[in-house]
Amino acid sequence: MYQYNADDTAFLVERVDQFEKQLNRHLAGDLDAAKFRSLRLRNGLYMELHAHMLRVAIPYGILNTEQLRALADVADKYDRGFGHFTTRQNIQYNWIELPEIANLLRDLSAVGLHAIQTSGKAMRNITADPFSGLTKDEVEDARPYCELIRRWFNIHPEFSWLPGKFKIAINGAKLDETALQIHDLGLNIVYNEANELGFAVYVGGGLGAAPMVAPEITPFVAAEDIISYLESVLRVYNLKGRRDNLKRLRIKFMVREHGAVEFGRMVDEDWQQTKNNPELKLNMDELAKLKKDFALPIEPVDLAGFTDTVDFNYSIWKKNNVRAHKLSGYSIVNISLTQLGTAPGDATSEQMRMLADLADKYSNSELRTTKRQNLVFPYVRQNQVFELWQELAKNSLASPHQGTLAHVVACPGGDYCDLAKAVSIPIAQQVQQRFDDMDKLYDIGPININISGCENSCAHHHISDIGLLGLKKNEQEFYQITLAGETLHETAIGRKLGRSIAGAEVVDAIEDIVNIYLDSREEGENFVDVFKRIGITPFKEKVYG
Amino acid sequence: MVDDNEVITVVSEQGQTVELVSVEEWIENIDSLAASGKGVLIKPVDDVTLLKDSLNKIALIALDFVGFDDGRGYSQAALIRNRWGYSGEIRGINTHLDQLQFMLRSGVSTYDLQEQYQGSNEHDYTHGFSICYQAAANNADMKEKF
Ligand code: SF4
Repeated sequence: MYQYNADDTAFLVERVDQFEKQLNRHLAGDLDAAKFRSLRLRNGLYMELHAHMLRVAIPYGILNTEQLRALADVADKYDRGFGHFTTRQNIQYNWIELPEIANLLRDLSAVGLHAIQTSGKAMRNITADPFSGLTKDEVEDARPYCELIRRWFNIHPEFSWLPGKFKIAINGAKLDETALQIHDLGLNIVYNEANELGFAVYVGGGLGAAPMVAPEITPFVAAEDIISYLESVLRVYNLKGRRDNLKRLRIKFMVREHGAVEFGRMVDEDWQQTKNNPELKLNMDELAKLKKDFALPIEPVDLAGFTDTVDFNYSIWKKNNVRAHKLSGYSIVNISLTQLGTAPGDATSEQMRMLADLADKYSNSELRTTKRQNLVFPYVRQNQVFELWQELAKNSLASPHQGTLAHVVACPGGDYCDLAKAVSIPIAQQVQQRFDDMDKLYDIGPININISGCENSCAHHHISDIGLLGLKKNEQEFYQITLAGETLHETAIGRKLGRSIAGAEVVDAIEDIVNIYLDSREEGENFVDVFKRIGITPFKEKVYG
Repeated sequence: MVDDNEVITVVSEQGQTVELVSVEEWIENIDSLAASGKGVLIKPVDDVTLLKDSLNKIALIALDFVGFDDGRGYSQAALIRNRWGYSGEIRGINTHLDQLQFMLRSGVSTYDLQEQYQGSNEHDYTHGFSICYQAAANNADMKEKF
């Protein structure tokens, strides 16, 4: 597995040293709150009234077990014994004391982890496919490119004070697990007609109050030119993006105002000046080295004659959580951290250590984080999956609900978040209680339900089969329902069902929607297929009729 | 920097007092302003491409970094220094301690710190990082890793 070298670690330490000085100046009254805010967000630190939150980057969602144990230690030493895995593949701690921050970050730098640019108006940690390098139908493993681009945006001298935040996703698979078109910038790895590898570039996606699917601004940029092209996108945004209206800071507004064609032309005009600059060419030697570092760490195994154990609960769990691996004899195993009664993505330090032990034993000491707030074991031998399942079940981490409708993605919402308009987690729990019949869940199949407590859309409700957005009307909590958002095959923002629904009735409405789906479903159709065929009207009539 | 009855001047690296004019003023009277050794004061909203063709007639360029979160000056500096090869002095004015290394790497050559930072350890912020991951106008003293 790829690891940072001495220079990279030295860089992380320099960053912590500088941030510690800034923090001390702030505490001494020599750095005002507004400037310190701008600086601390770039170091992942949020200051709330009663507690401080730190977001630690898990670059493109890859962790080794040493890192996971370090994250568990941080949870014990500096927090209240748990961390929260986010929908952007990072981890957050909610109860950090200011004077401890630098020591915490130093502990993490020892295992190559950091909080650089996990927030603020800067280029953010890259989202990547958690199955990168593992599946057969991949166009190309995105990880080496993710790493080169991650390095490039660290403390970029020209682009560190952007109009707004800037989220990047990179996808190398045929099915897009990253939802790249809802990012400020999405790179899709493609081959052109001459069979050269490059990127289709999408700019200006985003959720929130004005959701937008990023348009393609160019179908192909050769791999070696990607850095100069990204610089041109960032330069155009940095110089001409809106800074006057706080609600229009993201690049999506600029793309919308100019139109994708004109925006692409502006980028191209700048790029023509730099694309031949040798300093901006992707370092192909480094790329080759990274490809080696990220090569499969395992050899194929011959399991001829192996038959897996038959067990009802195991089979259901396996159907929804175990995926085919490109290497014979191996599987990819998905582990849900979402338990009935706990906040999605929360993990205790004990769970983290237990998962690290299991990953050492069953997954070559590597894990991945996903945007559904799960963990993935990338290298599990097929004849050890049952054993792993038993271990997970012993630790309450193998609920057969995983991968079914009962596995709801919910933001912290009204129970934990100051910005919330409505609760999220209790609604998720009610859904789980309503759909508790395993046979029925199994029959329904994998419908996604995502619940955001406000327009900030942290739970990505816009791109879910059934999305719920919390609202407040006359001090009462209501939910706006959207249907058939998707990102896997194509990107579509969910369509609004109709007027918002009171909290007490929202689970009934979900049941109605699921029933329409079940009644209308034809062989092999998923929720989005049915929605596309029958339209929104039958759902509306059932819910509001 | 002295702002006296609308006449803004800076003392250049060589010790000369240089009077600054706005981008609009410069564009209208390039030859006479160049002949009298004027510098140009660029604000974040200014379109620096207007200066491209007359760049090397400008005695000194001052970039205003007053807004902490307004990052346009870094791109303006990069264009002027790196892309168009301006070889004169680029002065950052109203600058912030925490942003010095970003600014210097983008092509700014001298700077006037805001008063609130007087007495601070500037070296911590001009040389806080010894390793860099991207090409820039000025990576002097840094180990380049890209
Ligand atoms: S969506 Fe709103 S309520 Fe939920 S976590 Fe984000 S900001 Fe908080």
